[in-house]
Amino acid sequence: MSGRASVTELAGRLSAVVGARNCYTSASELLTYECDGLTHGRTRPDVVVLPGSTEEVAEVVRLARAAGRPIVPRGSGTGLSGGARPVPGSVVVALSRMRRILEVNLEDGWIRVEPGVINLDVTRHVSAAGYYYAPDPSSQSICSIGGNVAFNSGGAHCLKYGFTVNHVLGARVVLHDGRVVDIGGPALDTPGHDLLAALVGSEGMVGIVTEVTLRLLRKPEATRTFFATFPSTDEGGEAVSRIIAAGILPAAIEMMDRLAIVAAKAATGLDWPDVGAALLMDADGPTAEVEDLSARAVQIARDAGALELRLPRNEAERQLMWKGRKSAFAAVGRISPNYMVEDGVIPRSEIAPVLREIESMAKEQGLRVANVFHAGDGNLHPLVLYDAREQGQEERAEQLGGDILRMCVRRGGSITGEHGVGSEKAAYMADMFGPDDLETMKWVRAAFDPDGCFNPGKVFPSSRLCGEKPGPGGVEHPAVRSGEVQRW
Amino acid sequence: MVIRDRTATADDGIQGAVPRLVLEPGTVEEAVGAMARCAADRLAVAFVGGGTMLGLGARPARLDAVIRTGALSRLVDHAPADQVVTAEAGMTLAALNEALALHRQRLPLDVPFSSRATVGGVVAANTFGPRRTRFGGARDLVLGVSLVRADGTPARGGGKVVKNVAGFDLPRLLVGSLGTLALLTTVTFRVHPLPETEVTLLFPGLTPEQVRALASAWRAAQLEPSSAVAVFASDRLDLGVRFEGFATGVADQSARLLELARKSGRAGEQLDADGAAAFWRRHDAVRERGSLRVKIASTPSHLGDLARSWLPSLLGELSPSGAVIYPTLGIAFASGEPASPAGLAAGLRDARQAVGAAGGSLVLEGAPAVIRPVLDPWGPPPPSIDLMRALKQRFDPDRRLAPGRFVGGI
Repeated sequence: MSGRASVTELAGRLSAVVGARNCYTSASELLTYECDGLTHGRTRPDVVVLPGSTEEVAEVVRLARAAGRPIVPRGSGTGLSGGARPVPGSVVVALSRMRRILEVNLEDGWIRVEPGVINLDVTRHVSAAGYYYAPDPSSQSICSIGGNVAFNSGGAHCLKYGFTVNHVLGARVVLHDGRVVDIGGPALDTPGHDLLAALVGSEGMVGIVTEVTLRLLRKPEATRTFFATFPSTDEGGEAVSRIIAAGILPAAIEMMDRLAIVAAKAATGLDWPDVGAALLMDADGPTAEVEDLSARAVQIARDAGALELRLPRNEAERQLMWKGRKSAFAAVGRISPNYMVEDGVIPRSEIAPVLREIESMAKEQGLRVANVFHAGDGNLHPLVLYDAREQGQEERAEQLGGDILRMCVRRGGSITGEHGVGSEKAAYMADMFGPDDLETMKWVRAAFDPDGCFNPGKVFPSSRLCGEKPGPGGVEHPAVRSGEVQRW
Repeated sequence: MVIRDRTATADDGIQGAVPRLVLEPGTVEEAVGAMARCAADRLAVAFVGGGTMLGLGARPARLDAVIRTGALSRLVDHAPADQVVTAEAGMTLAALNEALALHRQRLPLDVPFSSRATVGGVVAANTFGPRRTRFGGARDLVLGVSLVRADGTPARGGGKVVKNVAGFDLPRLLVGSLGTLALLTTVTFRVHPLPETEVTLLFPGLTPEQVRALASAWRAAQLEPSSAVAVFASDRLDLGVRFEGFATGVADQSARLLELARKSGRAGEQLDADGAAAFWRRHDAVRERGSLRVKIASTPSHLGDLARSWLPSLLGELSPSGAVIYPTLGIAFASGEPASPAGLAAGLRDARQAVGAAGGSLVLEGAPAVIRPVLDPWGPPPPSIDLMRALKQRFDPDRRLAPGRFVGGI
């Protein structure tokens, strides 16, 4: 391997592969790629390339490796955990030009797409025929399938339908040495290890996906939605518990607390009442079944102390209710100059005590927290509100966010339900997993990417924090040996 | 530490490979101890739960010890309100579901031999039954695992909540890994409510085309059966379709499917409890009987090839014989007793070639000793085999965990 090439030399070689207009090196062009949806951590890459095909991705990987550069894959950049944040000296490989839909087979229920295809466009492509792609992250109108695969994206409806990992049948992957390998395919149960399980959710650390085969589902015949308000999240949480205990599997069941409701109202102009908690539930499936389920759930909500129940009279009203829920993150901007989105998970039966604990933790820090959450699966999105202009508030907000995640782990939950670990939460992994657990996970990564050239610095806490030992056959990255990059 | 260990007998063997030593840990700590001992003594070791899927995969290339998990049979934790359960790897599916039923819940993995099949074995062998149609397989239900690595170190992955994307997905990676990466000690699953009611409809004597048309029709009508199984009956298929859930929805969906069939001239009936049990016993017999057991995985649109070509080329070499197709999954199982070993091996090769050319796979789940030497139980390895070897190298660099049992000689 030759010595590290200069940025200009490397860019010249990469341009020869992808075309000069698809290779960025100027500061103004690189600015967009300094961070993902987590905007408060920024690192400028040296080069950004936008390949147009699997072959181009493979060649880009070979060139970047030969130049001793870390490679950071990137989809739409909507991630909220800093998973697409570049590292110094890196080459960002953005897949946004690869957005072709390659093949559809409705009878067998699958679609093969390139990684830059937008999540919602998959559903749009097959919607007229009555099919859809189930994982529906809130960012589905802008996030890419490649990013969804990297982060095992969920969404409001994953309680019933599962995550990306349950809907990926196959993938074409460019490995660290530029080899291209196909994993899985439309037929189930490819003999051998479940490499798709290793790939989906690997946060860009094992390779670059250039084609994905996704499962398509037949649309449910009917969806019934209701909106219920409660004096507090205690009664709301109780309603959720009783609905689940009754054997009802909602397609989605979402809750917002008082502050989140205030924010959503301010942003959307919805005529939601001023209450302590609001619940939004979807049931879907065959019509008779759904009407039965929905009626049972409504009765349960009433018995659990609902103040008011609203059933949408038509699809437009239903969409409006969901708009209120989906806009809640951004809406918080109306009631606070700055906010941080957290993504903790707790056992769902502990929702009420956890929310009280979050409230008292917030009080201690002198901050406010708005809570929006997927109540059915215990996935909380506490929005920590702060004002960056106030001395020390941002630090206190970060402290509070971290304390909330650690509390989730203490209660048997997780530091991330759907946003991923990325660079932001890598430090908390050691709260959830021991050194041996993390080392075992690193073996999986190392089987794909022995030198750790893809997306370094994500998921795993730095060696200082977790007492990392090199795994069997572990090879140190050339950049570590040369002192260019710290061991991640 | 008290690990029961004893000298092995022929009954402890895997496809005729008999270990010197059998270890029977009674606690997770003892399982860690057993693995540490195997590591220290550099023993080639395989894991046995209920022993119901030992015919899957090849004979171990080396086998010094077997760790039997049967005494690791405790229910560790069940949180009914969270619909999450953790069980030790040696707990049987039947015992687990009995415990869950007290809270009107179940793990919807309706595997063969459920009174013997264990939690760990089902995950390691990726075993499933007809309810995969609606609830998915082990990989769709597993949330977390504790394991012991080849080096004797305990570790865990995943968690105890239904939603969790923290770290690399060790639980799903172990699904179907057949003891080649680590020993499972506990598994955490998401569970489902027991349905209020269930109904099985029978559509007898269909052609493959009629099965395919009916499946298309119920999909077009947005019906959602929990199982669909076509049982071979001479040259026709008897299709059973099961609906589960609350009574209102089940009754409505059943009536609609019968009406859909009637419109296309197909007779169907709702089976009473005895009739339904008898139909599912016919299915179970195919999954559980026969010295030869084969699984074919393809796609639903190949139903005609499965029923008219691939399966008949096998069934012709078996007597007695049986086959079932899960039409919405594109998966089929065949079983029976070989009439002539030479003919059967040729039939299996032909079928495997045809299935492979269509993008699927044919895997032996059980085979008589005469077939083993002439036919790889897994077939040609997939293009991703190098990655699997790399994974094995990281997890088990000395190749001591079930060496040679897996795909491509892993």
